[in-house]
Amino acid sequence: MSKTASGPARKPRHDDPRWLPYLFAGPLAVYLLLFQVYPLVQEAILSLTQTSLLSPQKHAFIGLENYQDLIDGGDFGSALAITGIYTVACVGLAIGFGLLAALLLDSPFRGRGVARALVTIPWAAPPVAVALVFTWIFNSQYGVFNYALRSLGFAAGKENWLDTPGLALPAILLTTIWQIFPFAAVVILSALQGVSSELREAAVIDGADKLSVFKAVVWPTIKPSVTLLSLFLTIWSLRRFDLIWLMTQGGPVGATNTLVIELYRQGFVYRQLGAAAAVGMVGLVIALAITLVYFRATRRDELARGEH
Amino acid sequence: MSAEDTSGQTAGPLRIATVVVVLMAALFPLYWMFVTSLTPSAALFSVPPRVVPDLTQWSVYAEAFFEIPVRVWLINSAIVAGGTTVLSLGLAIFPAYALSRFRFAGKGPFALGLFATQMLPEAMLVVPLYAIFGQLHLLNTLVGLILANTAFAVPVITWILKGAIDGVPTEIEEAARVDGCSRITIVLSIVLPLVAPSLAAAAVIAFFHGWNEYVFAQTLISDDKLRTASVGLAGFVGELSTPVHSVMAVGIIYTLPAVIFYLFVQRFIVAGMIAGSVKG
Repeated sequence: MSKTASGPARKPRHDDPRWLPYLFAGPLAVYLLLFQVYPLVQEAILSLTQTSLLSPQKHAFIGLENYQDLIDGGDFGSALAITGIYTVACVGLAIGFGLLAALLLDSPFRGRGVARALVTIPWAAPPVAVALVFTWIFNSQYGVFNYALRSLGFAAGKENWLDTPGLALPAILLTTIWQIFPFAAVVILSALQGVSSELREAAVIDGADKLSVFKAVVWPTIKPSVTLLSLFLTIWSLRRFDLIWLMTQGGPVGATNTLVIELYRQGFVYRQLGAAAAVGMVGLVIALAITLVYFRATRRDELARGEH
Repeated sequence: MSAEDTSGQTAGPLRIATVVVVLMAALFPLYWMFVTSLTPSAALFSVPPRVVPDLTQWSVYAEAFFEIPVRVWLINSAIVAGGTTVLSLGLAIFPAYALSRFRFAGKGPFALGLFATQMLPEAMLVVPLYAIFGQLHLLNTLVGLILANTAFAVPVITWILKGAIDGVPTEIEEAARVDGCSRITIVLSIVLPLVAPSLAAAAVIAFFHGWNEYVFAQTLISDDKLRTASVGLAGFVGELSTPVHSVMAVGIIYTLPAVIFYLFVQRFIVAGMIAGSVKG
Protein backbone atom coordinates (compact mmCIF):
# COMPACT_ATOMS: atom_id res chain seq x y z
CA MET A 1 0.00 0.00 0.00
CA SER A 2 2.81 2.39 0.72
CA LYS A 3 4.82 1.34 -2.33
CA THR A 4 3.92 4.45 -4.27
CA ALA A 5 4.98 6.66 -1.41
CA SER A 6 8.56 5.47 -1.38
CA GLY A 7 8.87 4.91 -5.13
CA PRO A 8 11.14 6.95 -7.38
CA ALA A 9 8.18 8.82 -8.89
CA ARG A 10 7.62 10.68 -5.63
CA LYS A 11 7.38 14.42 -6.07
CA PRO A 12 10.15 16.54 -4.62
CA ARG A 13 9.18 18.63 -1.64
CA HIS A 14 8.04 21.73 -3.43
CA ASP A 15 7.52 24.88 -1.50
CA ASP A 16 8.60 24.21 2.09
CA PRO A 17 10.84 27.04 3.22
CA ARG A 18 13.94 25.80 5.00
CA TRP A 19 12.99 27.47 8.23
CA LEU A 20 9.64 25.67 8.45
CA PRO A 21 10.88 22.78 10.67
CA TYR A 22 12.33 25.33 13.07
CA LEU A 23 9.07 27.26 13.15
CA PHE A 24 7.32 23.97 14.00
CA ALA A 25 9.78 22.64 16.58
CA GLY A 26 11.12 25.94 17.86
CA PRO A 27 8.52 26.89 20.47
CA LEU A 28 8.76 23.52 22.20
CA ALA A 29 12.57 23.64 22.09
CA VAL A 30 12.54 27.08 23.70
CA TYR A 31 10.02 25.95 26.30
CA LEU A 32 12.10 22.95 27.29
CA LEU A 33 15.28 25.04 27.32
CA LEU A 34 13.59 27.42 29.74
CA PHE A 35 11.89 24.90 32.05
CA GLN A 36 14.11 21.82 31.82
CA VAL A 37 17.59 22.61 30.53
CA TYR A 38 18.11 25.95 32.28
CA PRO A 39 16.99 24.62 35.70
CA LEU A 40 19.15 21.55 35.12
CA VAL A 41 22.19 23.75 34.49
CA GLN A 42 21.31 25.74 37.63
CA GLU A 43 21.13 22.47 39.53
CA ALA A 44 24.53 21.39 38.19
CA ILE A 45 26.04 24.68 39.34
CA LEU A 46 24.26 24.38 42.67
CA SER A 47 25.92 21.00 43.19
CA LEU A 48 29.27 22.81 43.29
CA THR A 49 28.18 25.14 46.07
CA GLN A 50 27.22 25.10 49.67
CA THR A 51 23.72 26.56 49.74
CA SER A 52 21.14 26.49 52.48
CA LEU A 53 17.43 26.16 51.85
CA LEU A 54 16.99 29.00 54.32
CA SER A 55 19.01 31.49 52.23
CA PRO A 56 19.09 29.97 48.74
CA GLN A 57 20.50 33.14 47.17
CA LYS A 58 23.76 32.85 49.13
CA HIS A 59 26.12 30.35 47.53
CA ALA A 60 29.59 29.47 48.67
CA PHE A 61 31.50 27.84 45.81
CA ILE A 62 33.17 24.69 47.12
CA GLY A 63 34.09 22.82 43.94
CA LEU A 64 33.55 19.09 44.12
CA GLU A 65 33.31 18.95 47.90
CA ASN A 66 29.64 17.87 47.83
CA TYR A 67 30.58 14.92 45.63
CA GLN A 68 33.53 14.11 47.87
CA ASP A 69 31.15 14.08 50.84
CA LEU A 70 28.89 11.63 49.03
CA ILE A 71 31.78 9.24 48.51
CA ASP A 72 33.09 9.70 52.03
CA GLY A 73 30.04 8.33 53.68
CA GLY A 74 26.69 9.19 55.09
CA ASP A 75 23.65 7.64 53.53
CA PHE A 76 24.71 7.90 49.92
CA GLY A 77 26.31 4.46 49.58
CA SER A 78 23.31 2.69 51.01
CA ALA A 79 20.98 4.87 48.91
CA LEU A 80 22.86 3.72 45.81
CA ALA A 81 22.53 0.08 46.85
CA ILE A 82 18.84 0.43 47.65
CA THR A 83 18.21 2.19 44.36
CA GLY A 84 19.95 -0.69 42.59
CA ILE A 85 17.92 -3.36 44.39
CA TYR A 86 14.68 -1.43 43.95
CA THR A 87 15.24 -0.79 40.25
CA VAL A 88 16.34 -4.31 39.35
CA ALA A 89 13.45 -5.82 41.31
CA CYS A 90 10.91 -3.42 39.79
CA VAL A 91 12.03 -4.05 36.23
CA GLY A 92 12.45 -7.80 36.60
CA LEU A 93 9.23 -8.46 38.48
CA ALA A 94 7.12 -6.05 36.44
CA ILE A 95 8.28 -7.68 33.23
CA GLY A 96 7.84 -11.15 34.69
CA PHE A 97 4.28 -10.54 35.85
CA GLY A 98 3.57 -8.43 32.77
CA LEU A 99 4.69 -11.26 30.49
CA LEU A 100 2.60 -13.76 32.43
CA ALA A 101 -0.47 -11.55 32.23
CA ALA A 102 0.12 -10.81 28.54
CA LEU A 103 0.43 -14.48 27.62
CA LEU A 104 -2.74 -15.22 29.61
CA LEU A 105 -4.66 -12.46 27.88
CA ASP A 106 -3.34 -13.20 24.39
CA SER A 107 -5.27 -16.42 23.83
CA PRO A 108 -8.97 -16.13 23.08
CA PHE A 109 -11.57 -16.70 25.79
CA ARG A 110 -14.93 -15.22 26.54
CA GLY A 111 -14.60 -11.84 28.20
CA ARG A 112 -11.03 -11.32 27.06
CA GLY A 113 -11.65 -7.72 26.02
CA VAL A 114 -13.02 -6.85 29.46
CA ALA A 115 -10.15 -8.67 31.18
CA ARG A 116 -7.59 -6.79 29.08
CA ALA A 117 -9.16 -3.48 30.03
CA LEU A 118 -9.50 -4.28 33.74
CA VAL A 119 -5.91 -5.43 34.16
CA THR A 120 -4.64 -1.99 33.14
CA ILE A 121 -6.46 -0.20 35.95
CA PRO A 122 -3.59 -0.12 38.47
CA TRP A 123 -1.42 1.78 36.02
CA ALA A 124 -4.06 4.51 35.73
CA ALA A 125 -4.46 5.04 39.48
CA PRO A 126 -2.85 8.26 40.78
CA PRO A 127 0.27 7.46 42.87
CA VAL A 128 -0.98 9.51 45.81
CA ALA A 129 -4.17 7.42 45.93
CA VAL A 130 -2.11 4.25 45.64
CA ALA A 131 0.09 5.32 48.56
CA LEU A 132 -3.04 6.16 50.53
CA VAL A 133 -4.76 2.82 50.12
CA PHE A 134 -1.65 0.63 50.37
CA THR A 135 -0.62 2.33 53.60
CA TRP A 136 -4.06 1.44 54.92
CA ILE A 137 -3.79 -2.11 53.58
CA PHE A 138 -0.36 -2.51 55.24
CA ASN A 139 -1.51 -1.04 58.58
CA SER A 140 -0.17 -3.36 61.28
CA GLN A 141 -3.32 -3.55 63.42
CA TYR A 142 -6.22 -2.96 61.08
CA GLY A 143 -4.67 -3.68 57.70
CA VAL A 144 -6.24 -6.33 55.51
CA PHE A 145 -2.80 -7.58 54.43
CA ASN A 146 -1.91 -8.74 57.92
CA TYR A 147 -5.42 -10.07 58.38
CA ALA A 148 -5.03 -12.16 55.23
CA LEU A 149 -1.63 -13.45 56.40
CA ARG A 150 -3.05 -14.39 59.81
CA SER A 151 -6.00 -16.14 58.19
CA LEU A 152 -3.55 -18.16 56.11
CA GLY A 153 -1.69 -19.09 59.30
CA PHE A 154 1.45 -17.01 58.82
CA ALA A 155 3.22 -15.77 61.94
CA ALA A 156 4.07 -12.58 60.06
CA GLY A 157 0.46 -11.44 60.43
CA LYS A 158 1.26 -8.80 63.04
CA GLU A 159 4.14 -7.08 61.35
CA ASN A 160 4.41 -3.35 60.98
CA TRP A 161 5.32 -3.58 57.30
CA LEU A 162 6.16 0.02 56.51
CA ASP A 163 7.98 0.58 59.79
CA THR A 164 10.24 -2.47 59.95
CA PRO A 165 13.64 -2.23 58.23
CA GLY A 166 13.58 -5.65 56.55
CA LEU A 167 9.94 -5.41 55.47
CA ALA A 168 9.51 -1.86 54.22
CA LEU A 169 11.35 -2.36 50.94
CA PRO A 170 9.40 -5.53 50.05
CA ALA A 171 6.16 -3.70 50.87
CA ILE A 172 7.18 -0.73 48.68
CA LEU A 173 8.17 -3.14 45.92
CA LEU A 174 4.85 -4.95 46.10
CA THR A 175 3.04 -1.62 45.80
CA THR A 176 5.20 -0.43 42.92
CA ILE A 177 4.93 -3.65 40.98
CA TRP A 178 1.18 -3.68 41.45
CA GLN A 179 1.11 -0.23 39.90
CA ILE A 180 3.47 -0.81 36.95
CA PHE A 181 3.00 -4.43 35.85
CA PRO A 182 -0.10 -3.55 33.78
CA PHE A 183 2.00 -1.23 31.65
CA ALA A 184 4.41 -4.08 30.96
CA ALA A 185 1.48 -6.39 30.23
CA VAL A 186 -0.09 -4.04 27.69
CA VAL A 187 3.22 -3.38 25.92
CA ILE A 188 4.01 -7.10 25.69
CA LEU A 189 0.44 -7.90 24.65
CA SER A 190 0.70 -5.47 21.75
CA ALA A 191 4.08 -6.96 20.79
CA LEU A 192 2.55 -10.45 20.82
CA GLN A 193 0.22 -9.38 18.02
CA GLY A 194 3.26 -9.36 15.76
CA VAL A 195 4.09 -13.03 16.35
CA SER A 196 3.68 -14.95 13.11
CA SER A 197 1.00 -17.61 13.45
CA GLU A 198 2.44 -19.55 10.49
CA LEU A 199 5.84 -19.85 12.19
CA ARG A 200 4.16 -20.86 15.41
CA GLU A 201 2.06 -23.52 13.71
CA ALA A 202 5.06 -24.78 11.79
CA ALA A 203 6.98 -25.16 15.02
CA VAL A 204 4.08 -27.00 16.62
CA ILE A 205 3.79 -29.36 13.63
CA ASP A 206 7.52 -30.03 13.98
CA GLY A 207 6.70 -31.25 17.47
CA ALA A 208 8.05 -28.34 19.49
CA ASP A 209 6.70 -28.03 23.04
CA LYS A 210 5.33 -24.75 24.37
CA LEU A 211 8.59 -23.59 25.90
CA SER A 212 10.53 -24.20 22.68
CA VAL A 213 7.88 -22.39 20.65
CA PHE A 214 8.19 -19.46 23.04
CA LYS A 215 11.97 -19.41 22.77
CA ALA A 216 12.17 -19.91 19.02
CA VAL A 217 9.18 -17.97 17.71
CA VAL A 218 7.59 -15.72 20.32
CA TRP A 219 10.60 -14.31 22.16
CA PRO A 220 12.56 -13.12 19.08
CA THR A 221 9.49 -11.16 17.95
CA ILE A 222 8.72 -9.46 21.24
CA LYS A 223 12.33 -8.95 22.32
CA PRO A 224 12.77 -5.41 20.90
CA SER A 225 9.62 -4.25 22.68
CA VAL A 226 10.59 -5.94 25.93
CA THR A 227 14.06 -4.39 25.78
CA LEU A 228 12.63 -0.93 25.23
CA LEU A 229 10.08 -1.57 27.96
CA SER A 230 12.86 -2.47 30.37
CA LEU A 231 14.59 0.82 29.56
CA PHE A 232 11.44 2.81 30.31
CA LEU A 233 10.79 0.86 33.53
CA THR A 234 14.41 1.36 34.63
CA ILE A 235 14.36 5.10 34.09
CA TRP A 236 11.00 5.47 35.78
CA SER A 237 12.12 3.39 38.76
CA LEU A 238 15.22 5.52 39.17
CA ARG A 239 13.10 8.66 39.44
CA ARG A 240 10.03 7.37 41.29
CA PHE A 241 9.27 9.60 44.24
CA ASP A 242 5.62 9.99 45.29
CA LEU A 243 4.88 6.38 46.25
CA ILE A 244 8.02 5.88 48.32
CA TRP A 245 8.06 9.29 49.93
CA LEU A 246 4.43 9.13 50.99
CA MET A 247 4.60 5.56 52.29
CA THR A 248 7.92 5.57 54.16
CA GLN A 249 9.83 8.86 53.62
CA GLY A 250 12.77 6.61 52.81
CA GLY A 251 12.68 4.94 56.22
CA PRO A 252 12.73 3.15 58.51
CA VAL A 253 16.43 3.87 59.11
CA GLY A 254 17.01 4.40 55.41
CA ALA A 255 15.63 1.01 54.34
CA THR A 256 13.74 2.52 51.39
CA ASN A 257 16.01 5.52 50.86
CA THR A 258 16.51 5.61 47.09
CA LEU A 259 18.54 8.32 45.37
CA VAL A 260 15.55 10.56 44.67
CA ILE A 261 14.37 10.26 48.27
CA GLU A 262 17.91 11.01 49.45
CA LEU A 263 17.97 14.04 47.14
CA TYR A 264 14.72 15.32 48.62
CA ARG A 265 15.85 14.66 52.19
CA GLN A 266 19.14 16.47 51.66
CA GLY A 267 17.32 19.45 50.23
CA PHE A 268 14.17 19.73 52.28
CA VAL A 269 14.95 17.94 55.55
CA TYR A 270 18.64 18.80 56.01
CA ARG A 271 18.26 21.99 53.93
CA GLN A 272 21.51 21.36 52.04
CA LEU A 273 20.63 22.37 48.49
CA GLY A 274 24.16 21.84 47.21
CA ALA A 275 24.40 18.31 48.55
CA ALA A 276 20.90 17.55 47.22
CA ALA A 277 21.91 18.75 43.76
CA ALA A 278 25.00 16.53 43.85
CA VAL A 279 22.85 13.47 44.63
CA GLY A 280 20.57 14.42 41.74
CA MET A 281 23.46 14.79 39.31
CA VAL A 282 24.80 11.35 40.22
CA GLY A 283 21.35 9.83 39.67
CA LEU A 284 21.08 11.55 36.31
CA VAL A 285 24.49 10.30 35.20
CA ILE A 286 23.46 6.75 36.14
CA ALA A 287 20.25 7.05 34.09
CA LEU A 288 22.18 8.47 31.13
CA ALA A 289 24.76 5.68 31.33
CA ILE A 290 22.05 3.01 31.34
CA THR A 291 20.34 4.64 28.36
CA LEU A 292 23.63 4.77 26.48
CA VAL A 293 24.29 1.09 27.13
CA TYR A 294 20.76 0.32 25.93
CA PHE A 295 21.17 2.20 22.66
CA ARG A 296 24.57 0.61 22.03
CA ALA A 297 23.20 -2.85 22.70
CA THR A 298 20.19 -2.42 20.43
CA ARG A 299 22.39 -0.98 17.70
CA ARG A 300 24.63 -4.04 17.96
CA ASP A 301 21.56 -6.30 17.82
CA GLU A 302 20.34 -4.57 14.69
CA LEU A 303 23.75 -4.91 13.08
CA ALA A 304 23.87 -8.57 13.99
CA ARG A 305 20.51 -9.13 12.34
CA GLY A 306 21.67 -7.29 9.23
CA GLU A 307 19.33 -4.36 9.60
CA HIS A 308 20.47 -0.82 8.81
CA MET B 1 -4.33 -16.15 14.78
CA SER B 2 -3.52 -16.09 18.41
CA ALA B 3 -1.57 -18.13 20.91
CA GLU B 4 -2.16 -21.64 22.08
CA ASP B 5 -4.08 -22.88 19.07
CA THR B 6 -2.63 -26.25 19.95
CA SER B 7 -4.48 -26.49 23.22
CA GLY B 8 -7.84 -26.02 21.56
CA GLN B 9 -9.87 -22.99 20.63
CA THR B 10 -11.02 -22.09 24.09
CA ALA B 11 -8.97 -21.62 27.20
CA GLY B 12 -8.99 -24.35 29.80
CA PRO B 13 -10.29 -23.94 33.34
CA LEU B 14 -6.76 -23.57 34.72
CA ARG B 15 -6.11 -20.61 32.44
CA ILE B 16 -9.44 -19.01 33.33
CA ALA B 17 -8.66 -19.47 37.02
CA THR B 18 -5.26 -17.81 36.56
CA VAL B 19 -6.85 -14.91 34.72
CA VAL B 20 -9.30 -14.46 37.58
CA VAL B 21 -6.47 -14.45 40.14
CA VAL B 22 -4.51 -11.85 38.14
CA LEU B 23 -7.59 -9.65 37.79
CA MET B 24 -8.38 -9.93 41.50
CA ALA B 25 -4.83 -8.89 42.35
CA ALA B 26 -5.06 -5.97 39.94
CA LEU B 27 -8.40 -4.76 41.24
CA PHE B 28 -8.20 -5.55 44.94
CA PRO B 29 -6.51 -2.38 46.28
CA LEU B 30 -9.00 -0.06 44.59
CA TYR B 31 -11.84 -2.37 45.61
CA TRP B 32 -10.52 -2.14 49.15
CA MET B 33 -10.49 1.65 48.96
CA PHE B 34 -14.12 1.47 47.87
CA VAL B 35 -15.14 -1.03 50.58
CA THR B 36 -13.45 1.05 53.26
CA SER B 37 -15.23 4.17 52.06
CA LEU B 38 -18.55 2.39 52.53
CA THR B 39 -17.79 0.90 55.92
CA PRO B 40 -19.67 2.31 58.95
CA SER B 41 -17.33 4.11 61.37
CA ALA B 42 -17.99 1.50 64.06
CA ALA B 43 -16.70 -1.27 61.80
CA LEU B 44 -13.62 0.53 60.45
CA PHE B 45 -11.24 -1.01 62.96
CA SER B 46 -13.03 -4.29 63.45
CA VAL B 47 -11.28 -7.62 63.07
CA PRO B 48 -12.06 -9.40 60.83
CA PRO B 49 -12.56 -6.41 58.53
CA ARG B 50 -15.68 -5.95 56.44
CA VAL B 51 -14.99 -7.29 52.98
CA VAL B 52 -18.13 -6.07 51.21
CA PRO B 53 -19.29 -2.46 50.94
CA ASP B 54 -22.22 -1.40 53.11
CA LEU B 55 -24.47 0.15 50.49
CA THR B 56 -26.43 2.12 53.07
CA GLN B 57 -23.35 4.27 53.69
CA TRP B 58 -23.38 6.42 50.55
CA SER B 59 -23.87 9.52 52.69
CA VAL B 60 -20.15 9.25 53.54
CA TYR B 61 -19.44 10.67 50.12
CA ALA B 62 -21.54 13.75 50.82
CA GLU B 63 -20.17 14.08 54.36
CA ALA B 64 -16.60 13.89 53.11
CA PHE B 65 -17.21 17.19 51.36
CA PHE B 66 -17.94 18.81 54.72
CA GLU B 67 -15.15 17.19 56.68
CA ILE B 68 -12.45 17.76 54.11
CA PRO B 69 -12.12 20.80 51.80
CA VAL B 70 -12.33 18.47 48.83
CA ARG B 71 -14.26 20.77 46.56
CA VAL B 72 -11.54 23.42 46.46
CA TRP B 73 -8.88 20.75 45.97
CA LEU B 74 -10.67 19.09 43.11
CA ILE B 75 -11.35 22.40 41.37
CA ASN B 76 -7.68 23.39 41.71
CA SER B 77 -6.56 20.02 40.40
CA ALA B 78 -8.97 20.30 37.47
CA ILE B 79 -7.65 23.77 36.60
CA VAL B 80 -4.05 22.60 36.76
CA ALA B 81 -4.84 19.46 34.76
CA GLY B 82 -6.88 21.33 32.15
CA GLY B 83 -4.22 24.00 31.74
CA THR B 84 -1.49 21.37 31.44
CA THR B 85 -3.53 19.60 28.75
CA VAL B 86 -4.17 22.68 26.61
CA LEU B 87 -0.61 23.97 26.86
CA SER B 88 0.97 20.55 26.29
CA LEU B 89 -1.09 19.79 23.20
CA GLY B 90 -0.51 23.29 21.85
CA LEU B 91 3.23 22.86 22.27
CA ALA B 92 3.42 19.26 21.05
CA ILE B 93 1.43 19.04 17.82
CA PHE B 94 3.71 20.91 15.42
CA PRO B 95 7.00 19.51 16.76
CA ALA B 96 5.51 16.02 16.52
CA TYR B 97 4.70 16.67 12.88
CA ALA B 98 8.17 18.09 12.24
CA LEU B 99 9.80 15.02 13.84
CA SER B 100 7.69 12.73 11.70
CA ARG B 101 7.91 14.50 8.34
CA PHE B 102 10.92 16.80 8.10
CA ARG B 103 14.65 16.33 7.99
CA PHE B 104 16.45 19.22 9.59
CA ALA B 105 19.72 20.02 11.26
CA GLY B 106 19.39 19.45 15.00
CA LYS B 107 16.58 16.91 14.68
CA GLY B 108 18.59 14.14 16.31
CA PRO B 109 19.61 16.15 19.38
CA PHE B 110 16.04 17.46 19.68
CA ALA B 111 14.57 13.95 19.65
CA LEU B 112 17.23 12.75 22.08
CA GLY B 113 16.56 15.72 24.36
CA LEU B 114 12.88 14.85 24.46
CA PHE B 115 13.72 11.34 25.57
CA ALA B 116 16.30 12.55 28.08
CA THR B 117 13.68 14.57 29.97
CA GLN B 118 12.20 11.23 31.04
CA MET B 119 15.22 10.79 33.31
CA LEU B 120 14.78 14.00 35.28
CA PRO B 121 13.02 13.58 38.61
CA GLU B 122 10.71 16.47 39.41
CA ALA B 123 12.31 16.67 42.85
CA MET B 124 15.62 17.51 41.20
CA LEU B 125 14.31 20.63 39.43
CA VAL B 126 12.18 21.91 42.30
CA VAL B 127 14.82 24.24 43.69
CA PRO B 128 15.85 25.97 40.44
CA LEU B 129 12.22 26.18 39.29
CA TYR B 130 11.32 27.72 42.64
CA ALA B 131 13.92 30.42 41.98
CA ILE B 132 12.77 30.98 38.39
CA PHE B 133 9.11 31.20 39.37
CA GLY B 134 10.03 33.56 42.16
CA GLN B 135 11.49 35.96 39.62
CA LEU B 136 8.49 35.57 37.32
CA HIS B 137 6.07 36.11 40.23
CA LEU B 138 4.54 32.70 39.57
CA LEU B 139 5.10 31.15 42.99
CA ASN B 140 1.86 30.26 44.69
CA THR B 141 -0.07 30.40 41.43
CA LEU B 142 -1.79 27.62 39.53
CA VAL B 143 -0.26 29.07 36.34
CA GLY B 144 3.20 28.28 37.69
CA LEU B 145 2.10 24.73 38.41
CA ILE B 146 0.72 24.40 34.88
CA LEU B 147 4.02 25.62 33.40
CA ALA B 148 6.07 23.18 35.48
CA ASN B 149 3.79 20.21 34.78
CA THR B 150 3.71 20.92 31.06
CA ALA B 151 7.50 20.75 30.91
CA PHE B 152 7.29 17.15 32.17
CA ALA B 153 4.17 16.06 30.26
CA VAL B 154 4.95 17.48 26.84
CA PRO B 155 7.88 15.24 25.78
CA VAL B 156 5.88 11.99 26.13
CA ILE B 157 2.97 13.54 24.29
CA THR B 158 5.16 14.74 21.45
CA TRP B 159 6.54 11.23 21.19
CA ILE B 160 3.09 9.63 21.04
CA LEU B 161 1.80 12.09 18.44
CA LYS B 162 4.94 11.61 16.36
CA GLY B 163 4.32 7.86 16.37
CA ALA B 164 0.71 8.40 15.29
CA ILE B 165 1.62 10.84 12.50
CA ASP B 166 4.19 8.32 11.22
CA GLY B 167 1.21 6.09 10.45
CA VAL B 168 -0.54 8.66 8.25
CA PRO B 169 0.31 8.08 4.55
CA THR B 170 1.94 11.13 2.97
CA GLU B 171 -0.15 10.79 -0.22
CA ILE B 172 -3.10 12.28 1.59
CA GLU B 173 -1.08 15.38 2.32
CA GLU B 174 0.38 15.56 -1.18
CA ALA B 175 -3.08 15.92 -2.69
CA ALA B 176 -3.86 18.83 -0.38
CA ARG B 177 -0.55 20.46 -1.18
CA VAL B 178 -1.25 20.32 -4.89
CA ASP B 179 -4.44 22.19 -4.06
CA GLY B 180 -2.30 24.88 -2.48
CA CYS B 181 -2.88 24.22 1.22
CA SER B 182 -0.14 25.41 3.56
CA ARG B 183 1.60 22.99 5.89
CA ILE B 184 -0.12 24.52 8.87
CA THR B 185 -3.53 24.00 7.29
CA ILE B 186 -2.58 20.44 6.42
CA VAL B 187 -1.52 19.67 9.99
CA LEU B 188 -4.62 21.18 11.54
CA SER B 189 -7.30 20.10 9.11
CA ILE B 190 -5.99 16.85 7.59
CA VAL B 191 -3.42 15.20 9.87
CA LEU B 192 -4.97 15.96 13.26
CA PRO B 193 -8.40 14.46 12.45
CA LEU B 194 -6.65 11.32 11.23
CA VAL B 195 -4.75 10.88 14.49
CA ALA B 196 -7.73 11.79 16.67
CA PRO B 197 -7.50 8.67 18.90
CA SER B 198 -3.85 9.36 19.68
CA LEU B 199 -4.68 13.00 20.24
CA ALA B 200 -7.28 11.90 22.78
CA ALA B 201 -4.72 9.61 24.40
CA ALA B 202 -2.23 12.47 24.56
CA ALA B 203 -4.86 14.72 26.14
CA VAL B 204 -5.62 12.09 28.78
CA ILE B 205 -1.93 11.67 29.60
CA ALA B 206 -1.43 15.42 29.96
CA PHE B 207 -4.60 15.87 31.98
CA PHE B 208 -3.77 13.17 34.49
CA HIS B 209 -0.14 14.17 34.66
CA GLY B 210 -1.40 17.48 36.01
CA TRP B 211 -4.08 15.78 38.10
CA ASN B 212 -1.64 13.34 39.72
CA GLU B 213 1.40 15.56 40.14
CA TYR B 214 2.54 15.91 43.75
CA VAL B 215 6.07 17.30 44.15
CA PHE B 216 5.57 20.68 42.48
CA ALA B 217 2.13 21.15 43.97
CA GLN B 218 3.64 20.47 47.37
CA THR B 219 6.62 22.81 47.03
CA LEU B 220 5.56 25.65 44.71
CA ILE B 221 2.21 26.27 46.42
CA SER B 222 1.82 27.29 50.04
CA ASP B 223 -1.59 28.98 49.92
CA ASP B 224 -4.29 26.64 51.30
CA LYS B 225 -6.83 28.01 48.83
CA LEU B 226 -4.63 26.81 45.95
CA ARG B 227 -3.98 23.34 47.34
CA THR B 228 -4.49 20.49 44.88
CA ALA B 229 -6.15 17.17 45.60
CA SER B 230 -2.85 15.26 45.36
CA VAL B 231 -1.30 17.34 48.13
CA GLY B 232 -4.49 17.38 50.17
CA LEU B 233 -4.87 13.62 50.03
CA ALA B 234 -1.17 13.06 50.66
CA GLY B 235 -1.72 14.66 54.06
CA PHE B 236 -3.94 11.74 55.03
CA VAL B 237 -1.55 8.92 54.13
CA GLY B 238 -0.98 6.76 57.19
CA GLU B 239 -3.11 9.00 59.35
CA LEU B 240 -6.10 7.59 61.25
CA SER B 241 -7.51 10.58 63.15
CA THR B 242 -9.66 11.76 60.25
CA PRO B 243 -12.38 9.15 59.65
CA VAL B 244 -10.76 6.61 57.37
CA HIS B 245 -13.93 6.06 55.36
CA SER B 246 -14.14 9.78 54.52
CA VAL B 247 -10.52 9.81 53.39
CA MET B 248 -11.05 6.72 51.25
CA ALA B 249 -14.20 8.26 49.78
CA VAL B 250 -12.15 11.26 48.71
CA GLY B 251 -9.54 8.84 47.37
CA ILE B 252 -12.20 7.17 45.23
CA ILE B 253 -13.51 10.50 43.93
CA TYR B 254 -9.93 11.46 43.07
CA THR B 255 -9.05 8.11 41.45
CA LEU B 256 -12.16 7.29 39.46
CA PRO B 257 -11.82 9.89 36.67
CA ALA B 258 -8.24 8.77 35.96
CA VAL B 259 -9.18 5.10 35.79
CA ILE B 260 -12.18 5.69 33.55
CA PHE B 261 -10.40 7.93 31.07
CA TYR B 262 -7.35 5.69 30.85
CA LEU B 263 -9.56 2.69 30.08
CA PHE B 264 -10.68 4.40 26.90
CA VAL B 265 -7.29 5.41 25.58
CA GLN B 266 -4.63 3.07 26.99
CA ARG B 267 -4.43 1.15 23.71
CA PHE B 268 -3.28 4.23 21.84
CA ILE B 269 -0.84 5.28 24.55
CA VAL B 270 1.10 2.06 24.39
CA ALA B 271 0.93 1.80 20.61
CA GLY B 272 2.24 5.35 20.32
CA MET B 273 5.04 5.06 22.85
CA ILE B 274 6.40 1.87 21.43
CA ALA B 275 5.92 2.75 17.77
CA GLY B 276 7.45 6.18 18.30
CA SER B 277 10.50 4.72 19.99
CA VAL B 278 11.16 1.41 18.26
CA LYS B 279 11.13 3.04 14.86
CA GLY B 280 12.48 6.33 16.26
